Amino acid sequence: MSMMNDKFVISIGRQLGSGGHLIGEKLASQMGIALYDKELIQIASKESGLGKQFFEKVDEKASHSFIGGLLGLRTNIGNEIYVNNYLCNETFFKIQSDVIRKLSDERSCVFVGRCADYILRDNPRCVNIFITADKEDRVKRVARDLQLSDEKAAEKIEKMDKKRAEYYNFYSNKVWGVAGSYHLCVNSSVLGIDETVTFIRGFIDKKLGLPEHR
Amino acid sequence: MEQKESPIALGTENVGKLLMQYAIPAIIAMTASSLYNITDSVFIGHGVGALAISGLALTFPLMNLAAAFGSLVGVGAATLMSVRLGQKDYDTANKILGNVFILNIILGLSYTVVVLSFLDPILYFFGASPATLPYAHQYMEVILLGNVVTHMYLGLNALLRSTGRPQKAMYATLCSVLINVVLNPLFIFVFKWGIQGSAFATVISQTVMLVWQINIFSDKSSFIYLKKGTFRLQRKIVVDSLSIGLAPFLMNAASCVIVVIINQGLIHHGGDLAVGAYGIVNRVVFLFVMISMGFNQGMQPIAGYNFGAGQYDRVTEVLKKTVLMATCVMTLGFGIGELFPHAVASVFTTDKKLIDLAADGLRIILIFFPIVGFQMVTSNFFQSIGMAGKAIFLSMTRQLLFLLPCLLILPQVFGVEGVWYSMPTADLASSIVSAIMIISQYRKFKQMAIA
Repeated sequence: MSMMNDKFVISIGRQLGSGGHLIGEKLASQMGIALYDKELIQIASKESGLGKQFFEKVDEKASHSFIGGLLGLRTNIGNEIYVNNYLCNETFFKIQSDVIRKLSDERSCVFVGRCADYILRDNPRCVNIFITADKEDRVKRVARDLQLSDEKAAEKIEKMDKKRAEYYNFYSNKVWGVAGSYHLCVNSSVLGIDETVTFIRGFIDKKLGLPEHR
Repeated sequence: MEQKESPIALGTENVGKLLMQYAIPAIIAMTASSLYNITDSVFIGHGVGALAISGLALTFPLMNLAAAFGSLVGVGAATLMSVRLGQKDYDTANKILGNVFILNIILGLSYTVVVLSFLDPILYFFGASPATLPYAHQYMEVILLGNVVTHMYLGLNALLRSTGRPQKAMYATLCSVLINVVLNPLFIFVFKWGIQGSAFATVISQTVMLVWQINIFSDKSSFIYLKKGTFRLQRKIVVDSLSIGLAPFLMNAASCVIVVIINQGLIHHGGDLAVGAYGIVNRVVFLFVMISMGFNQGMQPIAGYNFGAGQYDRVTEVLKKTVLMATCVMTLGFGIGELFPHAVASVFTTDKKLIDLAADGLRIILIFFPIVGFQMVTSNFFQSIGMAGKAIFLSMTRQLLFLLPCLLILPQVFGVEGVWYSMPTADLASSIVSAIMIISQYRKFKQMAIA
């Protein structure tokens, strides 16, 4: 148990193009711990024996929209019995969250997205951070990273934000991107990526009582 | 908590063994609910009369619609519940339980108030005649007054299942059937309450089991119980569960519309007794359909997991075994119905004319039953491997693409026989569509298995 107290987890929620993933990467490498973003899919697939493509399809997607419900077809006519449709979004969420809990039990690490803050809500050594950025910066970053025009990037941002919000709100019982859902919310445009990392690092050290770095 | 088997066993254990393990509890529950309906019809048929059976058949769509409203809340609640339990989030799970409890009361009461105020016009629209209306009205009156109980009983039973107590849910189902079987003859033959006796038996048996369920859900030592302060409706829980439940609601509501059209066709072309004959045939057919459905439910997790794990040979194996079992069940129904239709019909009534009508109908409806099992399994199979679009398409083709036009056209030409023949026609047509879809899917599996 004493070992467990040394471990900690950083959960990063982020708007698309806010630099959240990059900030997570820098935090992880500075603190010498692992970072899990898309890697979770690979691990969840391996743990469960289910194909990677299924996790990719439902990655950070909620399942409760009407069309989703219709296509999810959870029940049969003559509804006495609730049908356990094995390949449904809820199953994948459960598998993925088990993986997140297992990883956080084994080592200190950074999780990007996927409701890690909710999944690890009972872990007192989990720091929950949300990264935003100014609209222009986000569009610029997405356009550059994904090789899109500015208009297309703006469209993509709107779509992804909506998707992530639906996913987060459905599974976590909290509201995506709202200050009350996290310990710390930062706009990365204000200080720039590197300074934001340093700032967040200071917050994490204080919260967890880690020795101040440098 | 909600899974009986670890996923790994689904991928390694003997397929036949797994299928039985998952199917048997489902079959018991499905058969029980079917027996429930059969006993009602039997006692009403013998204790009240032939026209009472027609009156009862007129209430089927209203019962279906009530069940549809049940699934509107129930399916979503069960989904939300299993998500929260998977996260050990007992706080939210308790709120879901409290909210569902209240939602069921609200929906149950609203349904009662709305339907009761327009009961006679609705029943006339559904095909009631001055001779059958009193029976349908009397029966429905009691059922509607007890509707809240029915709603809460079915809702809590679904929650018993999703909170990891499927065996308790099964006891509740079996006990309510048992109480119903004891009370039905008592009320009808001893107390002479007529068709209302059967309705009272239904409501009382569900009330007794509801009390038992509430008692289970009041146990404060378990993680999930009816807790003070959880009953205030929360927008998020209500919206989430209703939007999940909307699709199953519409599917159930669609089948309710189909039954209305069948009843209207029968009354128009064949009269009151034809409706009663359908009431009998429906009960008989339902028993076999429900047992097959139990096998389908047993197949779902096995096919789903192995498809996800890319073990296509096991997917094919469970599909074949389920088709075989379902075909056996449906063929058994076919055999009994085609060989002894009069004996089957006389379980429900002593009226010579009604027996003849029901026997004729039974013979027609069962014509393609040996291939219907295959059709049902295919649709469920696509659902369980996550191809819900194909599953929806298949169940819609039977109901809307084939059955509906048949029901509208055939009776114009062939009269009452046209109504009966519509059903096997739709069965055959949809079986052909299913066969085409499953064969092309099977080829893909073979290619993927090689690759």
